[in-house]
Amino acid sequence: MIVGHRKPLEEIKSYLDGCERVLVLGCGTCVAVCMAGGEKEVQLLASQLRMAFKEEGKEVLVEEETIQRQCDREYFDTIKNKVEHYDAVLSLACGAGVQMAAELFPKRVVLPGLNTTFIGVAEKEGVWSEKCRACASCLLAETGGICPITICPKGLVNGPCGGTNHGKCEVSKEKDCAWTLIYRRLEGQGRLDKIREIQPAKNYKAQTTPATIVHAAYMEEEA
Amino acid sequence: MRAKRWVRFTKKLLKEIGIEPERLEMFNMSSSMAPAFAEAVREMTRRAEELGPSPLKGKTKNAA
Amino acid sequence: MPMPFAEALKTKEFVVTAEVGPPKGVDIQEMLHNIELLKDKVDALNVTDNQSSVMRIGSLPVCKLIKEAGGEPILQMTCRDRNRVALQSELLGAYILGIRNVLALTGDYITVGDHIEAKPVFDLDSVLLVKLIRQMEQGKDFAGNELKGAPKFCVGAIVTPEADPIEPQLLKFEKKIKAGAEFIQTQAIYDLENFKKFMGYARKFDVKILAGIVLLASAGMARFMNANVPGIFVPQELIDELVAAPKGKALEKGIEIAGRMVRQLREEKVCDGVHIMAIGREHLVPEILSAAGM
Repeated sequence: MIVGHRKPLEEIKSYLDGCERVLVLGCGTCVAVCMAGGEKEVQLLASQLRMAFKEEGKEVLVEEETIQRQCDREYFDTIKNKVEHYDAVLSLACGAGVQMAAELFPKRVVLPGLNTTFIGVAEKEGVWSEKCRACASCLLAETGGICPITICPKGLVNGPCGGTNHGKCEVSKEKDCAWTLIYRRLEGQGRLDKIREIQPAKNYKAQTTPATIVHAAYMEEEA
Repeated sequence: MRAKRWVRFTKKLLKEIGIEPERLEMFNMSSSMAPAFAEAVREMTRRAEELGPSPLKGKTKNAA
Repeated sequence: MPMPFAEALKTKEFVVTAEVGPPKGVDIQEMLHNIELLKDKVDALNVTDNQSSVMRIGSLPVCKLIKEAGGEPILQMTCRDRNRVALQSELLGAYILGIRNVLALTGDYITVGDHIEAKPVFDLDSVLLVKLIRQMEQGKDFAGNELKGAPKFCVGAIVTPEADPIEPQLLKFEKKIKAGAEFIQTQAIYDLENFKKFMGYARKFDVKILAGIVLLASAGMARFMNANVPGIFVPQELIDELVAAPKGKALEKGIEIAGRMVRQLREEKVCDGVHIMAIGREHLVPEILSAAGM
């Protein structure tokens, strides 16, 4: 899922400078799973903001809503008419959701409450780790199911580098060396031939932004 | 109309695995239009004869 | 004036290279002095490329200065700061300025340096960089376009003979050779027996190997490297030697140790030469060579 992390409260408050009526808008999908922007987190943040503003003697109305997803227009239908009552919408969705909200409400100030960080998995309760960089040219078939673009900070397709040590990464002793992991995984499967050949350079054109995908069923040409 | 889109998509899927997309077709008619139906059957029969047996026929133990 | 490095590798029994690190700034007096001191004492001089991800004068202009001074430079080129366009562009530039030797490196990560918020590039890696250079020599750039005049280089790469674990390192080493590396400068080695084992494996490949020698200034430095630098293992006996040295004489002992290693490698024909790294103490390289009897 997409994993995000709530911005520091000071930064959020600085965005709300001069606002008197704020809607904190949560998202019930990815950011709810990673406990950053779901209904619970909306409640907590809204409470914090109310208390902080009260402490500062500021009269700010902070209200809450959470919709199923902010990356699909239809889910905004339930709150469309409410939005005009607020100066600002503080969206706790990922960057995609924030932008959709901003597009749907161009006359409102729409602000991000999270830093969207990565595509990842839940390692265990409360812990999420990055697994995928959405490089549009997946090479997991060559690397035993371990992504060097993500797990290796340098994104090497022919690794390891000279900084690897005892299976840990040059960047941090807490990080595993992706290429040592890949080597061990393929060794265990008897498939080291996969990485003995020189892997060609990554095609970065595949990642040129912004990208659009149209499902084949929705393309208009003749079959 | 949604069915048209999905028939078109399925033709692409057939093409991907090397099966001629013309083997699948959608015809618009109501249940009372018998001549149109007969024409559609004739058309598909003609196509089947022209294209020959399905590439999958007899290839596996559980033939299609 | 030294002969072209490719020729030295071919014709000399034991090759010696050393290294200069450009300064962070435009005051190059000390660097020019070191170049003057070393240029005729070694077969070639590496110029580092923003070593340890610390911003400095680039390798290319300093290689040119070495050439102008009558020395033989080796352009160190990392993949950290430049994409394939910039790398090729710099290689063509190096060639037209008379630079003929390149050491292809992946490069340290950005965060180990002093501009930790910069965008790391790593469009390519050391293997692909070697491959890219060989492709340019065939008259085509990396995207397959015709070159108006093809460069030709003597291309090297590095290996860490005591990497732990060793197998992924050796797999990468083989890929560098497959890509076309013709010489290898190793990470610093301190254990002759272990290095001989490595050479037993490395000798199957058609490549010249220069053993890395890093001057130890003190026992503290040795312990620091053991703890922090991947693939460097200074054995306890050497640390003890440094500890036992009289006060203020640890550096002298370090020079003696380095000289001894160079001499042994040469006399026992263990490898094809040495690469002496005395960063910050380039002026001591001639003393190491003397201690080695060269």
